Amino acid sequence: MTMNDRRKTESRRSFLGSATGALTGAALAALSSDAPGADAATGDDGLFRYAPRAKRVIYLFQSGAPSQMDLFDYKPELERLRGTDLPSSVRQGQRLTLMTSRQPSFPVVPSLFEFRRRGDCGAWVSELMPHTARIVDEVSFIHSMHTEAINHDPAITFFQTGAQIAGRPSIGAWLAYGLGTENRDLPAFVAMVSQSRTGAGQPLYDRLWGSGFLPSKYQGVKFRAAADPVLYLSNPDGVSGGARRRMLDDLRALNEIRHEETGDPETPTRISQYELAYRMQSSVPSLVDVSDEPDHVFDLYGESSRKPGTYAANCLLARRLVERGVRFVQLFHRGWDHHSKLPAGIRMQCADTDQASAALVLDLKARGLLDDTLVVWGGEFGRTVYCQGSLTANDYGRDHHPRCFTMWLAGGGVRRGYSHGATDDFSYNVTENPVHVHDLHATMLRLLGIDHTRLTFKFQGRNHRLTDVHGEIVDQMLA
Amino acid sequence: MATLLRVLIICSSVLVWSDVRTLVAEPTTVDFQRDVRPILSDRCYPCHGPDAKERKARLRLDTKDGAFRVRRGESPIVPGKPQASELLRRVATTDDDERMPPPESGPTLRASEVEILRQWIASGAKWDEHWAFRPVAARAESGRVDGATSFIDDLVRRRLAREGLESSPRASRETLIRRVTLDLTGLPPSVEEIDAFLADERPDAYSRLVDRLLASDRCAERLALDWLDAARYADTNGYQTDGERSMWRWRDWVIDAFRTNKPFDEFTIEQLAGDLLPDPSIDQLIATGFHRNHRGNGEGGVIPEEYLVEYVVDRVDTTASVWLGLTLGCARCHDHKYDPFSQREFYEFFAYFHNVPEMGRTFKYGNSPPFVRAPTLYQKKKLAEADAKIRRAAEKLGELDAVIERDLAAFEKSLRSDKKIVDANVDRGALVKVDKVDAPFVDSGDVAAIGFYDKFTWSAWVSPARADAGTVLSRMLDVPRETGYALRVEGGAVHVNLVRRWLDDSIRVRTTRKLEIGKLAHVLVLYDGSRMAAGVRVFVDGKEWKTVADLDELNQPFDVMEPFRVGRGGGEGSVFRGAIDRVRVFDRVVRLRERRALTVRASLTGIVRKKSEERSATERDKLRLAFLDHFAAPSIRKMHESWIEATAARESLVDSFPTVMVMQERKTPRETHVLDRGRYDEPRERVLPNVPAILSTGAKASAEGQRATRLDLARWIVSRDNPLTARVTVNRFWQMLFGAGLVATPNDFGSQGEAPSHPELLDALAREFVESGWNVRHVLRTIVLSETYRQSSRVSPAGLARDPNNRWLSRGPRLRLSAHAIRDQVLAISGLLSEKLGGPSVKPYQPPGLWEELSGEKYQRDGGDALYRRSLYTFWKRTAPPPAMMAFDAAGRETYCVRTTRTNTPLQALVLLNDITYVEAARVFATKMMRKGGESPRKRIAWAFRRATGRHGSDREIAILEAGLARHLEEFGRNANEARRVVELGDSKAGAKLGAAELAAYTLVASVILNLDEVLTRE
Repeated sequence: MTMNDRRKTESRRSFLGSATGALTGAALAALSSDAPGADAATGDDGLFRYAPRAKRVIYLFQSGAPSQMDLFDYKPELERLRGTDLPSSVRQGQRLTLMTSRQPSFPVVPSLFEFRRRGDCGAWVSELMPHTARIVDEVSFIHSMHTEAINHDPAITFFQTGAQIAGRPSIGAWLAYGLGTENRDLPAFVAMVSQSRTGAGQPLYDRLWGSGFLPSKYQGVKFRAAADPVLYLSNPDGVSGGARRRMLDDLRALNEIRHEETGDPETPTRISQYELAYRMQSSVPSLVDVSDEPDHVFDLYGESSRKPGTYAANCLLARRLVERGVRFVQLFHRGWDHHSKLPAGIRMQCADTDQASAALVLDLKARGLLDDTLVVWGGEFGRTVYCQGSLTANDYGRDHHPRCFTMWLAGGGVRRGYSHGATDDFSYNVTENPVHVHDLHATMLRLLGIDHTRLTFKFQGRNHRLTDVHGEIVDQMLA
Repeated sequence: MATLLRVLIICSSVLVWSDVRTLVAEPTTVDFQRDVRPILSDRCYPCHGPDAKERKARLRLDTKDGAFRVRRGESPIVPGKPQASELLRRVATTDDDERMPPPESGPTLRASEVEILRQWIASGAKWDEHWAFRPVAARAESGRVDGATSFIDDLVRRRLAREGLESSPRASRETLIRRVTLDLTGLPPSVEEIDAFLADERPDAYSRLVDRLLASDRCAERLALDWLDAARYADTNGYQTDGERSMWRWRDWVIDAFRTNKPFDEFTIEQLAGDLLPDPSIDQLIATGFHRNHRGNGEGGVIPEEYLVEYVVDRVDTTASVWLGLTLGCARCHDHKYDPFSQREFYEFFAYFHNVPEMGRTFKYGNSPPFVRAPTLYQKKKLAEADAKIRRAAEKLGELDAVIERDLAAFEKSLRSDKKIVDANVDRGALVKVDKVDAPFVDSGDVAAIGFYDKFTWSAWVSPARADAGTVLSRMLDVPRETGYALRVEGGAVHVNLVRRWLDDSIRVRTTRKLEIGKLAHVLVLYDGSRMAAGVRVFVDGKEWKTVADLDELNQPFDVMEPFRVGRGGGEGSVFRGAIDRVRVFDRVVRLRERRALTVRASLTGIVRKKSEERSATERDKLRLAFLDHFAAPSIRKMHESWIEATAARESLVDSFPTVMVMQERKTPRETHVLDRGRYDEPRERVLPNVPAILSTGAKASAEGQRATRLDLARWIVSRDNPLTARVTVNRFWQMLFGAGLVATPNDFGSQGEAPSHPELLDALAREFVESGWNVRHVLRTIVLSETYRQSSRVSPAGLARDPNNRWLSRGPRLRLSAHAIRDQVLAISGLLSEKLGGPSVKPYQPPGLWEELSGEKYQRDGGDALYRRSLYTFWKRTAPPPAMMAFDAAGRETYCVRTTRTNTPLQALVLLNDITYVEAARVFATKMMRKGGESPRKRIAWAFRRATGRHGSDREIAILEAGLARHLEEFGRNANEARRVVELGDSKAGAKLGAAELAAYTLVASVILNLDEVLTRE
């Protein structure tokens, strides 16, 4: 391998595993087995069969599952049917969760909220999302999303890894593995979590940004609104930057002496990783320090964007991360699981997220980043048209519903002002153009220029993919 | 993107080149197992392999029959004739219509691979059954190569010679003791141990060292750690809420098994089927916790049937991988694509594990049935003491029998002569005592806050005025069918409701018999805190009434901030119609005699006015209990009291015993079906337990005519008929000591796995293992005593180029320590390590807020010694595992893991430099350095360097650290506040009398030493 090749090799390796030392035996082995399409690349055009439209992704995960018929899936017919039992012709004997399957009745409940057509495209949006209503012409809605899982843990794990049972790599880890990073001093994949105002919500799990069977260097790095935005980033109390520098200099000198003795190429790699850690100690804090943002930016994202750890602050950070070349940024906002008291709960959730989600799209657009940044919004499944618990004039709850729900995508080569798929009058079944979770993944990868059937990793004797053996690209959504 | 693509091509061409070079070195030895089958498997089997449904053109290349069969004058493979072999033509052609595999189906063959096939066919196309399914080869009786004292060295050197390589010289004794100590115990040797070994001139000094290490508790802990990864052991349930569970008694069983060097066949049988052994001991039951370690889903909406399947699948995957090295799980949805396992065989294997009386939707918190109480040795001793105490108290009370009888007679007499009606309560410790209910209902306020796991007794006299009489007692939201508990009379039946959510999170039990309207009856309810409907018992007028459960799915706490009410609960409509009195609530299950006494309505006076022979047994119980409680002489009351206390103490002791989930068999076997596409709701034909046909040659898995059990499976797994278990197990031992197994894919010995680098060695070790009586220590000892193990790990650039991955074992491996060993070592070097063996898991330092931000649960960090226990005792929360462990590639424990990776990342540097665990250890190490290292900085640093690395630092090395110390001292001298902050880090106290600036400076030096590549690595 020539020096030139080596340089290129480094450029593809992710931040967490990047090495400035000699390419080691282990690393060579890693390349032979980890490298995406290393085998596929011998014959034809390999991993990348398409021109990439997006270079990076911001995925706004709405954990708990927002109610599609209270936000985007307008069903005027329901008003007439309020309180009547869901016809069995609609339910078709499909399975329900144990939380409602024993209910004596399944009363249909229309949305309490007013819908209007928005933008040039005329997409229906409820009054709960006034800011999102302003960006509908940038957006592709998918009204026909469906999934296989009916409970939170398997459902969000399915969205994140393409499998309901834990153990597979998350989508961000797949992309870190497939695409590497554009900034060697930052991780390729960053995850951030924000809380609902009440603090309640479905739990999240480290596996959602984990690397599964991929090498652990591809796992997402969690950025937190804490003294250490990345775990263990700050020097211990009382240890100055100068002292740390001196320690690292001594450490390097000693490690180099040992390397002369042992010849192990892992040693120079370790030296460089310590240096990288040192650089992160200044690059990450400056990244998360938003004091250099002008007021109009905070006005755009909303006042809560000034408060670290909020959804709005995370949206702003997401923009700063992609500006610096982070490949995949994923936000998780908890609290959409409205089994009861849905109207009050969803009002709060929308008030906390709507403005910042829309602001992110507008901000990216203003900066010329939207063209090659894919923004994804959605939860792990939808909610039922029938009421869970007691139905009153102003109150209702909705149970989990995997058979249809709405997501939206923007930027990164996505068709603008488009709505894909449709559901029946009850927002219960998909009536046209169903989009499965695997299809969404295939489409996201397609936008990034990746053939989802070729992004593989051999584990337990089999070439695994994010999309398993499924996944159809939704061509209509490509701009 | 294009750049990346090019790089990939370049990388793969480098590999092609090295493949070819290997071939050039040995042109005549294309090996079917090593070189040919992997190509056929990877590229051809998906369409021409074991999966009958997917097979194209009815062509099968995974069997000799298929590959050589002549059809229409053509044969895929014609031995000796590459030109005539259709297979070769099709993989080599450039015509896209002809080429195999078809371009759209995936990767085509590299030129080097085509060349391998060509050479193989040209040299006669020798075909063998897949190596892993063949019996372990018999010992080859040939002489050893020069100087080889063990069969390991003999076989390794033969292989090296074929590669044109040589072995490395022995590592230095200092390196060797550190290496073998870290490998076998996960902890470094002390300086004293190193000195003793260096001074030991006996020829068998090294083997003595090895024997000492193998016999140590530390070694048992270290071996247990790998097994915990394989067993996906953790302290939480793993789904959604990820509540705590208690499996540490199983973990301690594993440690104990390694401590006693339990033969691996017993180790296997007890874990897979200890419950089915004749008259199993409690330890053999605990052992079966192995297959209850998988995750359990208690999420609200779960469909139980779906998860029952997932748990069994997990057991199949784990068993197949850990013992057999097979990816059997690939045959869940369809026939295996590469190995000869049909989908049906998957479900036959599945059937062994499908007969556990378990819940599909598990409890969110704690252990789910079946589980057993599993007292520790100490607790067993305590139990014996408690029993002795009860015995003594009972004896003493017995000795007073005559006195009691006499006094009781006198008491009766006095009662009879008393004009007043005397009564006394037998309701010791009752939380609620409501005697009269004259209002519609009574609000007793904030009492009887019975929790999720609490036992209780309810007792009340009830006379319903109608069948739907309403609520007798409750503590619940005042809305029908809401959260809380209630005793109700509905339709005449007695209802007991323990409710979180009415429809899916409650225990709701009712009696099948009905109370008589208008008749006063005594109703008593016992609940044992088990969260199961079976734990609720209802007695009416002293007789137990049969109950049925309307729902048996209590999964969350049901306590509410509502008052305890008598005669109401669940809104206006719930007010009791009829009469209620003498309501008692206890936070325990009352004893039999108390229970009987509670059913007596007569007063004491009423009882004694009856003739003795007319009194009922329960009346006699009440009289005697009331007398002992209230009226006897102080000395007797005291004696009675101490008997009650002893009994209660025993009960709370037993309640404090940890439980552990175990395997059990249902009495009537659950039917197992092939599940179409692996889906729980698509059952197809019925199957019975069996092992895959390819593996069961010559051995029946069960007794003739009987349904095979897990015990049959376990015995088969360690039988000589099974060629896999011994190979797979010794391969993992090899991996533990060399960083990589002889088979580099420890969980895949199938055709997609890597062929063994040293097949003869693998078989020789497997044979040694079985012939030694599955003696784990013997195999480990044999390996570490070999010269192959003792080689130096130094490598020259040339050596690196010729054997980059050390596949041929031309040197000792130099490996970064595991996550657990890195932390344990630092605790040991600093002197903080607490070496308590076993016990509940502990919660050491972890950055605050990590659990809270994901799930709202709080991480309650421990203090004291618990901060410094070995890492295998660290509490493992599956959905938020300890981040400092995960940074070093620890297994996540969501599923089984038999191989962890070793990455090298900046996050690791941040952990080692900044995590309080390591910073505190550095400070404590610095204190030691100053106290014990000598007077001069140089001496102190040299002392610390040796303690951390196991060797003497060179002058050059010590000088660097000394200069560093001087600069740190200078800075802290100027800045006393900073120095004080450094020395105050961590829970442990800084050494008194040491100047803050000096200690802070030494702390930074200690931190540098603890971060040395050499310290993090076993050389």
